[in-house]
Amino acid sequence: MIRERNWRSGLILLVLLAGSVITLFPIYMGVLNSFKTDGELLNDVLAAPASFQFSNYAAAIDKINFWRSLGNTAVIAAVGLLGIILFSSMAGYKLSRTPGRLSRFLFSLFILSMLIPFHSTMITLTKITRELHVQGSILGLGLIYIGLGVSFAIFLYHGFVKSIPRDLDEAAVMDGCGDFRLFFVVIFPLLLPITATNAILNLLWMWNDFLLPLLMLTDSDSYTLLLSTNMLFGQYGNNDWSGILASLVMAMLPVIIFYLLLQKYILNGIADGAVKG
Amino acid sequence: MAGNPITKRTVILLAFVLPALVFYAFFVLAPAFGGIWYSMTDWNGVNPAYSFIGLANYREALIEDENFLKSIGFTLKYVIAMVILQNVFAIMLAVLIESRRKTKSLFRTIFFMPNMISLIIGGMMWLFIFTKVLPDLAGRTGLLFLDQSWIGDPRLSFIAIIILSLWGGVGYLMVIYIAALQNIPDHVKEAAAIDGASGWQTLRYITMPMILPAITIGVFLTLNSSFKVFEAVFALTKGGPGRATQVIALNIFDEAFSQSNRYGYASAKAMILFLIVMAITFIQLAIMKKREVEA
Repeated sequence: MIRERNWRSGLILLVLLAGSVITLFPIYMGVLNSFKTDGELLNDVLAAPASFQFSNYAAAIDKINFWRSLGNTAVIAAVGLLGIILFSSMAGYKLSRTPGRLSRFLFSLFILSMLIPFHSTMITLTKITRELHVQGSILGLGLIYIGLGVSFAIFLYHGFVKSIPRDLDEAAVMDGCGDFRLFFVVIFPLLLPITATNAILNLLWMWNDFLLPLLMLTDSDSYTLLLSTNMLFGQYGNNDWSGILASLVMAMLPVIIFYLLLQKYILNGIADGAVKG
Repeated sequence: MAGNPITKRTVILLAFVLPALVFYAFFVLAPAFGGIWYSMTDWNGVNPAYSFIGLANYREALIEDENFLKSIGFTLKYVIAMVILQNVFAIMLAVLIESRRKTKSLFRTIFFMPNMISLIIGGMMWLFIFTKVLPDLAGRTGLLFLDQSWIGDPRLSFIAIIILSLWGGVGYLMVIYIAALQNIPDHVKEAAAIDGASGWQTLRYITMPMILPAITIGVFLTLNSSFKVFEAVFALTKGGPGRATQVIALNIFDEAFSQSNRYGYASAKAMILFLIVMAITFIQLAIMKKREVEA
């Protein structure tokens, strides 16, 4: 019995290890070959580099305009995140607390759009954003993300507010606290768990979003990390793989660091968001 | 008290909701309703003048446009493969990982990692694997089947796209299934063990029924995201060779932004995609509601 259990446990471990190898293989290959010269790479992709070519990375930082692209991505995500958290928490709270037809209608209006694929609105969106002059700038892109992000965030806030006792609101009102002060001083701090979930989900979404920046940003100085990465085959020759791989490693580094530091919160947020959404 | 309390409540409600609503109206509602309107016009994006042509765009897309119909067919093939494979792999990983004690969180970290990396970046790394590493491996190990035109041959590029999508997507569902497994009460598992249930019996008669709601969620999440697939294809094949791997979203994108600039016509195709996704969601809601009533 015990022997059988050991045998089975060993088999499971073996399967998981094999799966891990396959999962990490492209990343490992990418990192390994990013340190080689092109000649070495073409000669043998599996071998360790004879000497580490850090110059590939110096070139990569230049080719994908790394610091600039990183800064652009951060500004876009920060503007979007700030707006999404602030406006959605306000709306989600009030919609959850106010009974009546108008409140129900507004909530359904927000929720309904969670059905609409981005591809179905993107064509008209390019026209509207051009007319509103928010196209082409990173600030404008951040504002667009607020519009696209609020409905899901409102949905999560709306559900969470139900778990906060109404007595709190009433007590504060009795003390002569106005609606906005009540919200920002009493309620908003209590929303922290769902704010964290919302922040993580939205940050990951904006950071890894590709299509919207592709449609909105035309000037390479305002490119996000992904847009700069997408241009790599034009920047390098099609076969300059060691240079391309070094750029890819640089482009994914921020998100990997973020993941390894905050993975507990990220995994909880993902499970939370998916089940409720 | 100043004013009617109901009016005051309405004003406060609007004050809290308005900021979100303004952004939402400009960047989601207006494009959505505008899209419906433009899908019935011959607007080409460049010329400011356009005219109303009714359902002609829809007729053209669904009857005459072979490329669009083929992209629907290819997307369907992709959706079926993904719904089955992604969920099977995710459940398998979740069950296996949950059975570990010390290495549980390590494996979870590893298998979820690709989900954090954009498929644009991941896709280019896999492009390197398919075009350089696998042929090289084939030469060294004698596993000649690895040396194929993974990107150039339509049949194989389908497999390549599936592999990339699974690599990027399985971890996400795995996290959901792990959460579902952890919600199974310990006493149920203990009771099964005391009754002498084998590992397989526990899986078949305890675990699977208990995570059925999560499976519904997993299947519909996959359905939803697979019909909208864009980046995996864009990064790996750009729809090629020819249009062999063009999916619906890519067909719409090409129609609007890189080939004809027929915005009105592309909007009609976009509405068709919307109707597909909406139908799936309503089926999902109906199933979930039915199950809630039964439970």
